[in-house]
Amino acid sequence: MTTAETSPSPTASGVRTEEETAARVKALEAMLIEKGVMSTDAIDRLAEIYENEVGPHLGARVTARAWSDPAFKERLLANATQACAELGVGGLQGEDMVVVEDTDTVHNVIVCTLCSCYPWPVLGLPPNWYKAPAYRSRMVRQPRAMLREDFGYEVPDSTEVRVWDSSSELRYWVLPQRPAGTEGMSEEELAELVTRDSLIGVGSVLHPGGQRP
Amino acid sequence: MTTREDLEPLLMELPHQEALRPEGGDVSFETAWEIRAFALAVAAHQSGQYDWSQFQQALIDSIQRWEQSGSGTPWRYYDRWLEALESLMTEAGVVATGEVDDRTRTVLDTPRDTGHHRAHHEPVAVDPARS
Repeated sequence: MTTAETSPSPTASGVRTEEETAARVKALEAMLIEKGVMSTDAIDRLAEIYENEVGPHLGARVTARAWSDPAFKERLLANATQACAELGVGGLQGEDMVVVEDTDTVHNVIVCTLCSCYPWPVLGLPPNWYKAPAYRSRMVRQPRAMLREDFGYEVPDSTEVRVWDSSSELRYWVLPQRPAGTEGMSEEELAELVTRDSLIGVGSVLHPGGQRP
Repeated sequence: MTTREDLEPLLMELPHQEALRPEGGDVSFETAWEIRAFALAVAAHQSGQYDWSQFQQALIDSIQRWEQSGSGTPWRYYDRWLEALESLMTEAGVVATGEVDDRTRTVLDTPRDTGHHRAHHEPVAVDPARS
């Protein structure tokens, strides 16, 4: 999206786009830090207190719906942005989401190789390790080993691992497999089983009774 | 280290609790920038830029300006929040409005993720099944 041409003034007192407002906050933050009013650390620590208030419960809700409603799941896999909007879950303009589905033969994991593109409308803000160079580079080179060694998540040898690179235009997230023994559970109960890590692809969902497999 | 409990007394003093806590209980945010703006206002208070009652008043004033403007601007709590923070920082001479305008343009003109705008439609890596 070309913002400079389409937004005559980020300062006009009229309606600002979401992007203009976000940019203004970013600008103000940078200036306050430069002028010594506050430190990045101080802001980060305060922001962290509430990070979980955006997502990943939204992603959990969408996942639980997909597990319960095959028609919704089909729509989710076909067009995640639209399907999420059905549930009132959405993000910035121009940011498309794609959901990749785990199966018995394929396990998916998401990464942003260049920065920290992340489907925050459904997952909240990214955890720090997601932004770390170690994750961004090694997950592409040695996904299976990294999942095992850094996340304690063992992908069976018989399962292919696919790594998806999110960009600012297209953000991926993972639809984990519905765990066994959950027949007859309500959507609310199912949503409780969905972890943030399972939506990134670095961990599993919980199993009924709160146990990991 | 500030905790949620430390912030609660501050938040209790703010106007429009129903907008601050749409779900009732805890404060919640719809976007990443809202959390950032929230943290900036608290951090400026904690570093001694203003008493919290001043922020409270600035927020009330900003909301009143919005109500009186009768403009087509949609109601968004954190728009008012940002305006309140900016007005305090401008009055204190920490930043000038024009400066913030200029810097905002710079941010908008800088691609968020230089070179990372292209959508990737295939997996960036595949580790095939081994058995």
